[in-house]
Amino acid sequence: MSQAVETNLSAAASGAENARNFLRQYALHIALVVLIILSALISPSFLSGGNVSNMLLQAAPLGIVVIGQAFVILVRGLDLSVASVMATAAVAATSFNGQDTDALLIFVVAIGIGLITGLVNGLLVAKRNVSPFLATLATMIVLQGMRSAWTQGAPSGNVPPFYRILGSDSIYGVPYNLVITGVLAVFFSVLLAKTTFGRKVYITGGNPVTARLLGINADWITITCYVISGGLAALAGLILSGFVGIVDNWVGRGFEIDSIVAAVMGGVALSGGRGTIAGGLVGAAILVVVFNSVLQIGMPIQMQIIIKGLVIVIAAAFYVRRAA
Amino acid sequence: MLTISNLSKSFPGVKALSGMQLDVRAGEIHALVGENGAGKSTLTKIIAGVYQPDEGQIEYDGEITHWPSPGAAKAAGVHVIYQEFVLFPHMTVAENIFIGNERRGLLGMVDHGQTRKDAAELLHRLGVEIDPDKRVVELSVADQQMVEIAKAMVHKVRLLILDEPTAVISGHEVELLFQRLQALRADGVAIIYISHRLEEIFEICDRVTVLKDGQFVASRAIADVTRDQLVALMVGRDMSELFPPKATAASGAVVLQAKGVSAAGRVRNASLTLRAGEVTALAGMVGAGRTELALAIFGGLPMTAGSVEIGGKSHSQMSPALSIREGIGLLTEDRKGQGLAMLLDVAANITAADLQTVSRNGFLDRARENEIAREEIASYQIACRGPQNPVVTMSGGNQQKVLVSRWARTCRRVLILDEPTRGVDVGAKAEIYRIMRELAAKGIAVLMISSELPEVVGMADRVVVMREGTISGELTGADITEEQIVRLATQSLAA
Repeated sequence: MSQAVETNLSAAASGAENARNFLRQYALHIALVVLIILSALISPSFLSGGNVSNMLLQAAPLGIVVIGQAFVILVRGLDLSVASVMATAAVAATSFNGQDTDALLIFVVAIGIGLITGLVNGLLVAKRNVSPFLATLATMIVLQGMRSAWTQGAPSGNVPPFYRILGSDSIYGVPYNLVITGVLAVFFSVLLAKTTFGRKVYITGGNPVTARLLGINADWITITCYVISGGLAALAGLILSGFVGIVDNWVGRGFEIDSIVAAVMGGVALSGGRGTIAGGLVGAAILVVVFNSVLQIGMPIQMQIIIKGLVIVIAAAFYVRRAA
Repeated sequence: MLTISNLSKSFPGVKALSGMQLDVRAGEIHALVGENGAGKSTLTKIIAGVYQPDEGQIEYDGEITHWPSPGAAKAAGVHVIYQEFVLFPHMTVAENIFIGNERRGLLGMVDHGQTRKDAAELLHRLGVEIDPDKRVVELSVADQQMVEIAKAMVHKVRLLILDEPTAVISGHEVELLFQRLQALRADGVAIIYISHRLEEIFEICDRVTVLKDGQFVASRAIADVTRDQLVALMVGRDMSELFPPKATAASGAVVLQAKGVSAAGRVRNASLTLRAGEVTALAGMVGAGRTELALAIFGGLPMTAGSVEIGGKSHSQMSPALSIREGIGLLTEDRKGQGLAMLLDVAANITAADLQTVSRNGFLDRARENEIAREEIASYQIACRGPQNPVVTMSGGNQQKVLVSRWARTCRRVLILDEPTRGVDVGAKAEIYRIMRELAAKGIAVLMISSELPEVVGMADRVVVMREGTISGELTGADITEEQIVRLATQSLAA
């Protein structure tokens, strides 16, 4: 009987509907490929070795932030503090004597700042019921102030060579930072898709009330997601400071919006409980390609901002259509 | 007043209605019944102008009409009150009543004074005591329903359609609603009344039309039809077949004991004993504290006093994790809000209470999970595309089966089901009753919370009745009758 029901349904789903499902599932990948082809056609230098490796270098820090952001959005949150965490981590990188002997210390301090920020965000959201928007906005501002106070206006030190290499050098043509992003992406994808922790993230985000009634410590799950986001943002900040070389108080500016847009465009539902790391990373790749082609085509950099706005509009409209 | 003939409507892949007919007269309450998916909502939406029929005609007031939009239907005096109210919670009662129809004064600005006055008059005519200045969010659900009816009266309602109006109210509130409907009927309003609760239909309706699988089955005067005949028309089988036979063996050992439990200010000093192999019903009015007692026992609400004894240990505080470990399951009343993770698939929802079984060292074993899901889909006949079907796309009855299967797998001692058959069709109901009885036969203590008396009488080996947060009595065997239950559920505490 149930066998019959199942086959009937799958028979109805065949043909046109399968094609539609395929399109829906891979719409983003197709969009990315189309974008790359278009960009290559318009600007021959787009696919040049130099430009490709430049794009990959840029994509890596965004990718790392998007991974964390995806965790937070999956539990119905939003992390606006990521850019501030990045800048603070970058400032930490220049706050010692600029030698490799301090590399480990810098790592501990920077990641510590990220984890603590995430912990505060998570505690505010989970235990005090503060809206994620307000909680992470507040920590963003507090970090900003602390940074300015610490640097007395502008940071002056140097980024140790270790982080410069990490941020801008390659091994066999593959940038180090992309390798790091890849390793992190695999690790966190496995965590999300293949472990009970990941399943609990989906259940908590999908329905927090249900999660509690299933004996899941939903508060702990939520806090962990914010901690992951904070830690990854700090790491991205270190890598980005190595890429840029010079640090100001605003390293990573705009990453909060970019990471949210990338995640949502990649199918991570703002209502929580749906989405994957891979999807978020494809979203990030689309953003990077779009921004890069604007420059390649020779449009002024201000166009990037306008186009970013348009991409958000399109992503939002796309998201709404998917949710319906 | 309204005559529908030969109406058909298809949606991509489904024929929702075909050859439908309906004849509603002014000054009557006309029941529309049928299982879920019989086509009641589609028919309602066509009458309300939301959908356009593919074929057939609608005759209203002796003229053939068609309403191209809900606005056109409303202008003709057709008003629908859906199960989910269309009210703005933070606006006042008066503002809600005249929404889209604001009383205007100088320069076309909204005249708040006039709005309030007119609203007060309407509410008075309706015979209800609601302060027009109150915000809707502060009202009881029953009062919100009255505001919806008042809204209909603004539009000089001539045909009022109510979709499951008593699903959200109870007892005295139902009586009040019925009085208002009778007053409207006396004014010559035609009322279409959709409900799953047959006893109400016999109480208030004049005629009934039965739908099945999108087709017209029969129209009868209520006086000419018995309850069993009506059910037979709806499902094509006998009512008595709905309930499996009760337990015959003597009741088993005590499995769970709640002693003097108080919680959430809604439960006071309630004690309850559950025995293996028994189906115990927790009856009473909506709001009597039944759900809160169940949640307190399960650990979803903190106990402010009392204890729960299970597995030889007494706990002054339960938690969901502890309950699941001790083999208690809780199927909540609110399927979507407290039960399912709607975006997750069938497999994930089935195994959600039992991740240990489908994981090793914290890593999920997807193959094992899918295997379990496939077994459950087969044994409960859950209609879906397979383990990876997101539950959000499934029907209510099938979603409920997913939840039943989740808890049936994990409950080793006690299964609590809160209104397990609400909003599911008769076929799925029979299925759920059968499963409950099977679990009891396996030695599980089943506690069923239900507001439907025939269900309580048909299923329970023992009935515990609650009233205003306390246990007001217990019935067994031949004492389990609808009259006894109502008496215990409503008698004053002093008596």
